Amino acid sequence: MIGPTEIYVAASLLGALGMWLMLPSAGARNRWLGIPPAAVALGMLLARTPRLGDWLADSVFLVMAVVTVVAAAATVTCRKPVYSALWFGLSLLGTAGLFMFQGAQFIAVATVVVYAGAILVTFLFVLMLAQPEGRASYDRTSWESLVSAVTGAVIVTVLSMTLTGVLTAETDAPLPSAAAEELGAGVLTKAHTARIGAELFGRHLIAVEVAGLLLLAALVGAAAIVGQSRGPLAEEDDETQETPDQSTI
Amino acid sequence: MGQEIALLNNYLVVGAMLFGIGLIGFLSRRNMIVMFLSAEMMLQGVSLSLVAWGRWHNDFGGQMLVIFIIAVAACEAAIGLALIMMLFQRSGSLDVAVWQTLREANQPPYVDSAESDEPPPTTDWPKLPTAGNRPELTPDETDHRSHV
Repeated sequence: MIGPTEIYVAASLLGALGMWLMLPSAGARNRWLGIPPAAVALGMLLARTPRLGDWLADSVFLVMAVVTVVAAAATVTCRKPVYSALWFGLSLLGTAGLFMFQGAQFIAVATVVVYAGAILVTFLFVLMLAQPEGRASYDRTSWESLVSAVTGAVIVTVLSMTLTGVLTAETDAPLPSAAAEELGAGVLTKAHTARIGAELFGRHLIAVEVAGLLLLAALVGAAAIVGQSRGPLAEEDDETQETPDQSTI
Repeated sequence: MGQEIALLNNYLVVGAMLFGIGLIGFLSRRNMIVMFLSAEMMLQGVSLSLVAWGRWHNDFGGQMLVIFIIAVAACEAAIGLALIMMLFQRSGSLDVAVWQTLREANQPPYVDSAESDEPPPTTDWPKLPTAGNRPELTPDETDHRSHV
């Protein structure tokens, strides 16, 4: 008999097989062969998810989920790091759409601005600075790709099975959800950003201050690390400057 | 009620998939920058789950946590990319395997089975025409030389 558990396990194994085939490898493995099992696994996992009740909501969610997950898989499996970064940007846009779909407008905009706007551009800068010319051999091989693919599949299986088991268990009553009118007064309020700001600078004021301190420390640390990497040259310069002083003494 | 539980369930599954894919990438890729991207992707998966739980409980705590995750990810990117730049200047390569001398003392070294870009050596040598024969001239080539 085929229950939901078997479907989850089969989907995860198929996904692991697809990811293993798609990951860069030293041997002559056709990476495009990995796409059909991965797509079937994604379809099985998404077909297991309950419907939202409205076909428009369902299709919007499914489109954004598929875009996010496919772009994430392409990020991991692309041979060229620049393509990986661009696929990661697409995955971030899909995630921002999912946030927006949940009513978390501020998080969606912050994800696009901070992640796709700042962090991703920093990644691209570092890639332009550090990527050697041509095809790098380490981009075309990977560590134990089969073991890591199976590990990821096991994690996905355990998380989705336990969570959906908790949520749909008949014996244990699931946690109470907020009613629609409560949601309208809560996280789905029209003054969303105002509420976010009130929460952020009210209950979490100290955390905001600590986060600001952390950002400052990261700034100073990054500057110190980059300055330190040019350390030996600077020390040599100092020594050359100091030696005439010592000779005069 | 049913719609809310479906929404939570769907978001948790998508978050788990993002986390799993990021984990696969972090474990298997060897380019340090791609490893970093995979770590950021795991953070994205966790953020999706947090926002979904926040909506389920009708509480802003999940979104607050995501805001702080974004702040910490920005710090992490700054420090990590500075470290990657420093390591690249030391070794001239973005490969993590260059730094495997930092492994534990009882661990065997990782032997690289690198893919060679050169085609395998062949025994089929190209066939040359016999030397010394005058090539047949077409009428066009008697007027001008198409090649020298």
